[in-house]
Amino acid sequence: MARLSFAHVRSRFWMAACWVSAAVVLAVCAGIVLAMAARGIGALEPSFFTTDPQPSFEESLAGGIRAPLAGSVILAVSGILAVFLPSLGAAIYLAEYMDEQKLGTRAIRLGLEVLAGVPSVVFGFWGLAVFSQPIFAFLSDSAGGDATSAFGRSFLVGALVMAVHILPFVVKVMEEAIRAVPRALREAGYALGLTKWRMIKRVVLPSAAPGIVTAIVLGLGLIVGDTAIVWLTVGGTMTMSGADAWWLPHNWLPVLKGTGSTLTTFIFYSSPAGEGNAPGKAYGAAFVLLALVVALNAFVAWIGRQRSIKAQ
Amino acid sequence: MSYDRMEGTDMSSSQEAAIRLRFSRADGSLGRLGTEKLVERALAFSAASSGAAILFVIAFVFMKAYPLLARDGLAWLARADWDGAVMEAWWNPDFWRFGALPLLVGTFATTTGALMVAVPLGVGCAIILSEVAPPGLGRILATAVRLLSGVPSVIFGLVGLTVVVPFVQKTFITEELGLRYVDVPLDGQSLLAGSLVLAFMIIPFVVAVSADAMRSVPESYRFGGLALGMTKWRTIAKLVIPPALPGIVAGIVLATARGIGEAIAMAMVAGGLANIPHLDRGFVAFLEPVRTLASAIVENGEGMSVLQVESALFSLGATLLVVSVVTSILARAAFSRLRTKTGLATERAI
Amino acid sequence: MNDVAEVVLPAVPTAGTASVDVACEPWAVQAAGVSSWYGSNQVLKDVDICIPQRRITALIGPSGCGKSTFLRCVNRMNDLIRGFRMQGTVSVHGEDINGPQVDVTLLRRTVGMVFQHPNPFPMSVYDNIALAVREHKPSINRDELDGIVEQSLKDAHLWDEVKDRLSGSALGLSGGQQQRLCIARALAVKPEVLMLDEPCASLDPIATGKIEELLLQLRERYTIIIVTHNLAQARRISDEMAFFLMGEMLEQGPTQQVLAAPQREETAAYLDGSYG
Repeated sequence: MARLSFAHVRSRFWMAACWVSAAVVLAVCAGIVLAMAARGIGALEPSFFTTDPQPSFEESLAGGIRAPLAGSVILAVSGILAVFLPSLGAAIYLAEYMDEQKLGTRAIRLGLEVLAGVPSVVFGFWGLAVFSQPIFAFLSDSAGGDATSAFGRSFLVGALVMAVHILPFVVKVMEEAIRAVPRALREAGYALGLTKWRMIKRVVLPSAAPGIVTAIVLGLGLIVGDTAIVWLTVGGTMTMSGADAWWLPHNWLPVLKGTGSTLTTFIFYSSPAGEGNAPGKAYGAAFVLLALVVALNAFVAWIGRQRSIKAQ
Repeated sequence: MSYDRMEGTDMSSSQEAAIRLRFSRADGSLGRLGTEKLVERALAFSAASSGAAILFVIAFVFMKAYPLLARDGLAWLARADWDGAVMEAWWNPDFWRFGALPLLVGTFATTTGALMVAVPLGVGCAIILSEVAPPGLGRILATAVRLLSGVPSVIFGLVGLTVVVPFVQKTFITEELGLRYVDVPLDGQSLLAGSLVLAFMIIPFVVAVSADAMRSVPESYRFGGLALGMTKWRTIAKLVIPPALPGIVAGIVLATARGIGEAIAMAMVAGGLANIPHLDRGFVAFLEPVRTLASAIVENGEGMSVLQVESALFSLGATLLVVSVVTSILARAAFSRLRTKTGLATERAI
Repeated sequence: MNDVAEVVLPAVPTAGTASVDVACEPWAVQAAGVSSWYGSNQVLKDVDICIPQRRITALIGPSGCGKSTFLRCVNRMNDLIRGFRMQGTVSVHGEDINGPQVDVTLLRRTVGMVFQHPNPFPMSVYDNIALAVREHKPSINRDELDGIVEQSLKDAHLWDEVKDRLSGSALGLSGGQQQRLCIARALAVKPEVLMLDEPCASLDPIATGKIEELLLQLRERYTIIIVTHNLAQARRISDEMAFFLMGEMLEQGPTQQVLAAPQREETAAYLDGSYG
């Protein structure tokens, strides 16, 4: 066997180190998924999805995740509804109308960048303080019924805070999608005699639709995965305080104005860190949450693939 | 063709009058331009209200922090008593002597510890991803990194609390150790556990941004190096990493920002005590509990009904705001040095 | 909000009535003293040109000589480019395109444009054409729209190839079909002038042949201006020819005349293949 030179030994050593780090990252990722599966799958019986959490020291009596799962969906949908129009409007303005030279528009861009870096816990605490002001009492059930302060915690409050939190990210992805529409298509639109807004509406937005949907789905993922904002602004009740039968339309407003939980706060609460002390249930919920996040990611990847197939 | 070439240029006024207007609006109406202006205003309004939201968040946080800042300046950042101060403020309405130094130290220590793990692993992983891995493996690795970045922090917290914390406790904490240092609880919830968990939360940022920066280095650099007889590693170290360095730095800065801001997972695994680790105890310092700025806001959130605590917590929030502004400016500066083309993942990360 | 805008719109002139005016307007497009700049870079220098009606006029010249810029001046597409500046006058059927009361959207309907690379919208074949029609006539009913779509596709010699796949994506068509779709789309809003900017540059010879044949038929109803690099193509289809060099229009005349006896040495040199 030929003697390896120092250079080759060194090269092999460092390449091996790189392979080891890749293997560690893969292993940790697999480890998390396997840990969820191994400890969580046991909890996944039909009743897990059809019963609400029960306060109990006995894990077998701790109920299921019906209310938190519904809470995640309610919060995600209402948060996206709140953020959609403002973010789409801002993205169109930034991509199509903005005069990069103007101070105001540059300030907006810088501001969005700064807002994107602010940790969600700051938003949560900010939201709690803002929406506890008496003028926002209509958004949350006042705890004691006094008019001097609002409770400041409800699905509506949570959705609004989430909207502010994910706005910069959603705007960024949407703006990227809008900017990615080829110049040739815009010119074709103008050459047909469309005004700027009609061109945007008829040509740019339909072409950017997959990217806009991607922004929405990524935004859903951020809402579903966040804990700090939910913990601080949706309240710590495991079930809906507004009405137990949240699925009945006449209960929707009370539910939105009431407190509740999502999968993330359920996990936090049921883990050894919270008071629920039902780690099996926490793992079950974590497994469901992870599956949700993976499904959202897969959907985004699918949209991307559709787009690249179309482009060919 | 028998027409006079220049005939049309000077038209008599009678001819001019006979022109049927095709695209001018003789009535001076704006046509659709009115709607256009309206739409533009509406869009500008939504962009401006996004801007206003930012101003409102920042102004509100500083406004709420003001009572403490006005009384204490920045002295609360250098004092070393947090838990006791929060307790005292509950019953003493004149108490304003908060000490956030343990939280600063906790934040700094967990983030630094996490970076010490995440940077080498992340850069190594990025090298494999962009330089070495065959397409199939590359896809798997990229999927794993994306999955890791999508895992909610509460799941990291849960796994950390039920896997990493018991591991730290069993491996490093002996009964003898617990008896020797009775002033802080040594139960596995620790700086070490916090750093380990945080490391894997921030690794995706390092990998995605670094791999993107490396991929944007022209192929010709690599061919050039290999053609000179350099080994694979030397080619990467000398020709690929240097031009990609600003991107790698930007990835690290973003990862740092994410680490500093993480609240829930740190509240779950780093321990529930605002404690400054005792460096004189050597390795035991890593086994001591710490609390970070962000997790203090979650853990002491119930203190919001007390004016002083609320102001102190908002002061922590203001600190985090300032830090995130500084890091986003730093990341921006790093990116602007990355002259080569960068892909979507990089842009999306900031 | 949209419906409000539509109501305000006055009736739009159609090509059908244009024939009445032909007698007093021999020129479809006239340019006098046109100079233009992108930033500080002058791309057109004092261009005078007259484009006759119902003819095919070919603009020839080496790349970068300003032919495309001139086209984009005529329908004011250059307005969209920051830093663009123009002097001189361009009129279409005697009407100044830079006049204070000009509605650019109506100008662009009057002067249709087809681009170098086929640029169908990423939607169905039908919608590609229906989009512009609906935009200009929002109250149009389905039957009428179907009729216009069919007629435009027939005019563009595309109907037989796509009539069974009108709802399929336009991106699934071949390059030549896409370009004919773009022509059909431009025809659907009933322009009077049709400008084509190197429409065959990215097409194979067979697709090119189909487009040339199409243009020869369209010349009976439309004024056609075509920018081309391909001298043989200009010879085959154009009635009139204008030679551009370095932003100047050096020579204009009937195609046969320019080709047989160019007046300027530069034109002769270009025709001999001395410029790229």
